Amino acid sequence: MIRVDNLVKRFGIVDVLRGASLEVERGETAVIIGASGGGKSTLLRCINALESFDDGRIHVDDMTLEPRANGDARELHLRLRRRVGMVFQQFHLFPHLSVLENVMSGPIHALGKPRDEAEPMARSLLERVGLADKAHQRPATLSGGQQQRVAIARALANEPEVMLFDEPTSALDPRMTGEVLSVMADLSRSGQTMLVVSHAMGFVRRSAHRVHVMADGQVIESGLPAQIFEEPRDPRTRDLLEEAAS
Amino acid sequence: MRFLAMHDMGGGASAPRLVTAGVVALALTCASEVRADALDGIRARGELVWGADQEGGGPFVYPDPADPSRLRGFEVELADLLAAELGVKARFFQADWTTLPEFLDNGTIDVVLNGYEWTPGRAERMRATRPYYIYELQLMAREDETRFATVEALCHPPDGRTYTVGVLGGSGAAVWLQENCPGAVELFEYDGNTNAMMQVQAGVHDATLQDLPIAIFYRGEPQARGLKFVGLPVGRGYYVMYVRREEERLAETINAALSKALTDGRLRTIYLRYGLWNATQEELAHAGAQLAVSKGERSWSAVARYGPVLLKAAGMTVLLSVAAMPLAMLIGLLVALGRLYGPAILKAPLTLYVEVLRGTPVMLQLYVLYFLLPKLLGVGLGPVVAAIAGLAVNYSAYEAEIYRAGLQAIPKGQMEAALALGMTRRTALRRVVIPQAVRIVIPPVTNDFIALFKDTSICSVIAVVELTKQYNMLANNTTAVLELAGMTALLYLAMSYPLSIVARRTEKALAGDVRPVGA
Repeated sequence: MIRVDNLVKRFGIVDVLRGASLEVERGETAVIIGASGGGKSTLLRCINALESFDDGRIHVDDMTLEPRANGDARELHLRLRRRVGMVFQQFHLFPHLSVLENVMSGPIHALGKPRDEAEPMARSLLERVGLADKAHQRPATLSGGQQQRVAIARALANEPEVMLFDEPTSALDPRMTGEVLSVMADLSRSGQTMLVVSHAMGFVRRSAHRVHVMADGQVIESGLPAQIFEEPRDPRTRDLLEEAAS
Repeated sequence: MRFLAMHDMGGGASAPRLVTAGVVALALTCASEVRADALDGIRARGELVWGADQEGGGPFVYPDPADPSRLRGFEVELADLLAAELGVKARFFQADWTTLPEFLDNGTIDVVLNGYEWTPGRAERMRATRPYYIYELQLMAREDETRFATVEALCHPPDGRTYTVGVLGGSGAAVWLQENCPGAVELFEYDGNTNAMMQVQAGVHDATLQDLPIAIFYRGEPQARGLKFVGLPVGRGYYVMYVRREEERLAETINAALSKALTDGRLRTIYLRYGLWNATQEELAHAGAQLAVSKGERSWSAVARYGPVLLKAAGMTVLLSVAAMPLAMLIGLLVALGRLYGPAILKAPLTLYVEVLRGTPVMLQLYVLYFLLPKLLGVGLGPVVAAIAGLAVNYSAYEAEIYRAGLQAIPKGQMEAALALGMTRRTALRRVVIPQAVRIVIPPVTNDFIALFKDTSICSVIAVVELTKQYNMLANNTTAVLELAGMTALLYLAMSYPLSIVARRTEKALAGDVRPVGA
């Protein structure tokens, strides 16, 4: 479903990605772990074209992103983003819209669906994340965990083939982290293709089908959760896991 | 009194009382000193301060073409003659023509000497000297004008059409047209005579009614090129000087000096130099006695008489601001979007647009739009349209900067989230970024709206009569200045206060929405 080949990305003189590669199968929940500054978020942002990159290729289904994309790629980026959902660390809900309108904003303003088609779907998504009763509130009145669940519903409303999660619980306290992770675990069980950047090791152990470890701008190790957690091959993976456990 | 009234109009009621009291005390002190006796004051000072407006132009007072720092004009010579008779020097004081009586009132000048016609209202408010010139009014139109050949035909067109006529605001010509052709012509009142002529040249107006001396002076000059005299002069009247009501001695001294200059031919010599002497002036020797003073109006009768006129002018103020502001907001938004999100090639011109408009006075911009554009393009805008366009364009530069700040204040994540949902950049701006920016900019934009509302008074330079201009023109011809100022201030307040309330409410209502979420 997703294949990243030798991705290189520089910010000025800093090489953030130095030939990162990974693959995500359809229906799979893949998790990227790694120390901060390892390029995880940048990799994710490259996949839905929020960042351009300097070398390598990204394939999402039948679409291919080339390095140093210019204006010609605009159509491709639109098509891609309409099939790839994204959840941000800071939620980025639209504060001037109600919860329901937030969830409908993709289908109506990106996919061009009529409102009477978008609304029932948005309501059922809100139900799915446990927030049906908040439909007409403004995001500012919700807790952080509730806001992130709305953000997930908003991304799902486009019925994306892939969902990207960029550290979705890093801005939340532990209690709220739980409610968001349980929504994600549900989603994973339903067969949604997911690529998640996360530090929540419990979630990784329980829900991930495959784990990728990133360090120094590369994917240094990939494998089943059990294998990564029990028999890490790279010393940097061992350091990372020890740090996470302490 | 005028000063205080204006102060209230502009600044609201928050000025510390102590300061106000101090200003009043100071004003009274100055006034009482000046008013001891003007004639003694003039002699002690060694100068006669006379007030006039160079903008009125030739042949009265105008910058010498050979040396623009010096003044020329028959009134300059007249002032010198008078001063010499009093044994002092003449000193010129420049002020806007319609406000000259105010400067007389507050003691800044000793005499108004600037083609001021004798009118009952002025003669009630100030003390008129004997006439120093008998004027008539001359209609001027474009050389190819065939629709009317007399003033009569202009005022009573057989086809029932309404001609537009430019005049000097508050002048005798304006009054004559209002009295003799009521409702038959549309009047546009300018701050300068030549402005009215230029707009006839440019085809904006059909004709201009000018004091004959002015018409003669400018005949064949660039300002009146292509214009011809239409019909015979009409509406004879008198130019007089005005001194303060109580300065009987000064008035009599001036009258004596005028008589002397009339008898010994010096007045004639001056007028001949400017082509102003004609048979009519022979009557100057007998003119003056018949100028009766009418009873001035006070308080409620003045309110009843001037109220409707002021109310109409207030309507113009509202029209200008209500039409200009939305345009300014729209243009401003487009400029801000262009500068922030547009193609690189647009950025320099848009920055220039903002800087030029912010860096030059709005009055100048109105001049360019109304007086110069018709010359360059051959087509003119009507005064109201030009005023709205000018204000809208000027304010759009300020609104653009406000919007730019507002747009930049929206967190980057908002645009990214919208793009990630598959919206185009345009849709993301329209649905996500702009609506949030608009909420942020409502308070500063409302402030600008109130400022614009008061700035509309500047449109009087292009013959749009709004509230302040109307007040000035009325105050120039009446004794009920205090009542007029009060009414004007109340009207401004009645218009701007509701706006402030609406702004405060909107701001409160929207405050809940703009908090950034989770950031």
